[in-house]
Amino acid sequence: MSLYDVIINKIKQIQDSDKEGGPVTNITASSTLAAEITLLSSILVVVIMLRYYSNALMVIAVLLVIGIIVFAMPIMPKLKKEQNDSLNSMIFYAILILGIITTLFYWGSLNV
Amino acid sequence: MIIDPQLGSFFTAGALIIIGLFAALFIDNLIKKVIGLLFIADGVNLFIVTMGYKAGGIVYVFLPGMTVDWFAQNASYPLPFALVLTSIVIGASTLAVMLSLIIILYKKHGSIKASKILGEKGNQTQSKTPGDKI
Amino acid sequence: MNPLIPLMVIIPIACALILNLFHTKDRTVKIIAIIIAIILPSIPLFTNYGYHYFGGYAPLIENPALAQGLPVSITASALNVFHPAITYYFGSAQQIFMVVLGIIAFLAILTSLSETRKPSGVYAFLMFMGVASMSAIILTDDIFNLYVFFEIIAVTQVGIVVASKVKGNMETALKYMIIGSIASPLLLLGVALLLGVTGNVNITDIIYSIKTGLVNPQSPVLLMACGLIIFGWLYAAGLPPFHTIKSEIYSRALPHGAALLQAFSVFTLVAIGLIIIKIFAFFPFANVFIVGISVIAMILSITMALMQTDFKRIIGFLAVGELGYIGIGLGLGTAASITAGLFQAINEAIITAFLFIGFGTILYKTRESDIRKLGGIMVEMPKVTLLVLLSGLAMAGVPPLNAFQSKLMLIQSSLSAGVPELGIIMILLSIVTFMTFMKAFYAIYMRPKPSTLKIIDSNIPKATIFSLVVFLILCIILGLFPQIATSYLQPLANSLI
Repeated sequence: MSLYDVIINKIKQIQDSDKEGGPVTNITASSTLAAEITLLSSILVVVIMLRYYSNALMVIAVLLVIGIIVFAMPIMPKLKKEQNDSLNSMIFYAILILGIITTLFYWGSLNV
Repeated sequence: MIIDPQLGSFFTAGALIIIGLFAALFIDNLIKKVIGLLFIADGVNLFIVTMGYKAGGIVYVFLPGMTVDWFAQNASYPLPFALVLTSIVIGASTLAVMLSLIIILYKKHGSIKASKILGEKGNQTQSKTPGDKI
Repeated sequence: MNPLIPLMVIIPIACALILNLFHTKDRTVKIIAIIIAIILPSIPLFTNYGYHYFGGYAPLIENPALAQGLPVSITASALNVFHPAITYYFGSAQQIFMVVLGIIAFLAILTSLSETRKPSGVYAFLMFMGVASMSAIILTDDIFNLYVFFEIIAVTQVGIVVASKVKGNMETALKYMIIGSIASPLLLLGVALLLGVTGNVNITDIIYSIKTGLVNPQSPVLLMACGLIIFGWLYAAGLPPFHTIKSEIYSRALPHGAALLQAFSVFTLVAIGLIIIKIFAFFPFANVFIVGISVIAMILSITMALMQTDFKRIIGFLAVGELGYIGIGLGLGTAASITAGLFQAINEAIITAFLFIGFGTILYKTRESDIRKLGGIMVEMPKVTLLVLLSGLAMAGVPPLNAFQSKLMLIQSSLSAGVPELGIIMILLSIVTFMTFMKAFYAIYMRPKPSTLKIIDSNIPKATIFSLVVFLILCIILGLFPQIATSYLQPLANSLI
């Protein structure tokens, strides 16, 4: 079995387990795969931007991201489940980001 | 020890904002959630009012007999009070819209639980009849 | 003083109130709405650049008659240059934004009047009120005034969604309001902190205080204000974590409503984004954060768009994803990148409105928005299909259409700013944007028609076709002659750095 089939089967498996999405068609499976590849490649490019701060940090981050990719494939179905339309998760993420922004701007910028 | 009124007021404002955020995150009853959200807005309003406070200051009305310099040194700062008035009005109108939406949703679903009517499954829908008549 | 500047806000508000009164008189509503909608984009064309002072007067330095009797303690201090009024500024960039907003509003209102069976005064009220608040947000130089209109626009957006009768709209509207009531008080808190530090709400004066050292720029309170204003900005523009609710809002509105809503988001993003980079120019981390959140917005929204099955949601997510391009342009902070970002904002507002109204014709014909249940529409309406295809090409940045020019400018400016990675991400994601669009396009138009799909036998209104053609013409003109827009935007970008 080729690598492509392994990934497609895994995607179908995960989507089958969540029943609301309707039947899994080829078009949904392949668009999930495309989204997955887009996500991974763009995250890798983003991580490379860390070189403006420190080269060593970039190398570590790239290796870390590749490691995560290998173990957490496929990420996209999980990410979709995380970004759902429920009010509670939206508020949770809003307040989480508020916390991150406050921390970064208030404490993070004092000591740079 | 008597705490400085301005400092105490700032702490109260901060506490209100944090209570509001807590309520928004953890309370499931929509009416209570909305009350919590109102706490955030009230906390911010209190914060702004407190900013205009000046210990021992006078009301910012320029009366005959005052010199400009004396007035500038002693009057409290009027701008925050003007802003708060506007902000309270805005808060009241958004509150009215939110409560009316909750009433409509209660009639539709028979519940005011956020997890039930605004949860993941509550509104997974496709549009059916758009555009007929508004 | 320029009498036409306040009219840009007052006319739509007055019109909105009148339309609300005439709610049941259909003919009157239609006539008034169309006349005012034509006037909207034409006022900014005839307005001279300048300031307008609401409820106050010009700074003392420009007003020697008033300054005469005042003590030296006022005229010799910074109070001499402060603006004691709610100041509106109308310059060349504001002019082109107002014209584009006016055109989109006109076409959206025209489409809504022709596609709904019975024109609704209340719906027109909401649309005009939204346009009025948006104009104020673009023009104002007063950060508290901006907050007031920010709240009004949030309520009108909710109103447009509630009026749509799409299933699930009430729930979405309430969610948007609840999340809004977390974000907007925090924006107000940011404004309050700025007021506390500088004693001022006028943006020009705040910048003056910071630049001349009246205020310590490294004050942590000022940095906190920056963080809170950025949080409010994320909510207004729909960048993460608000991309899910924003795309949901678009998908629960009627197509013409969504076309207007996305224009509001784009212009709010630009207006507040410009304020952030103007006030916090001394603080480079703000720019880094803006670029970072924009990249995250692009990645998350475009990958989420690929996963959706409802075409309105697909365009909603794509619209949010495209906002990231504008954010990158603003965040890079060079004159070229800011010009490119602002140009991208204009293009994006036009193209997304084009897409929403174009795809709206499917709803008109089938009342169905799930791409799994659609197919074979091309046979039914070949002309509209061509227009929709062109809108998708425009969004992806295919020459000679307008987004090609702005995306090219963005990529060039990211290269010259020394961040080629951003250019790579932008190219990659515009390819994926096109793929997402083609997926929806194929499923809706080119696949054989499913037997369960019922097509309503009514022609697409001529007004809708007219709107689509106007959008296409705008795309082509801006694509062939980008200097029409950039020459208006350049002065603003140059003044920022």
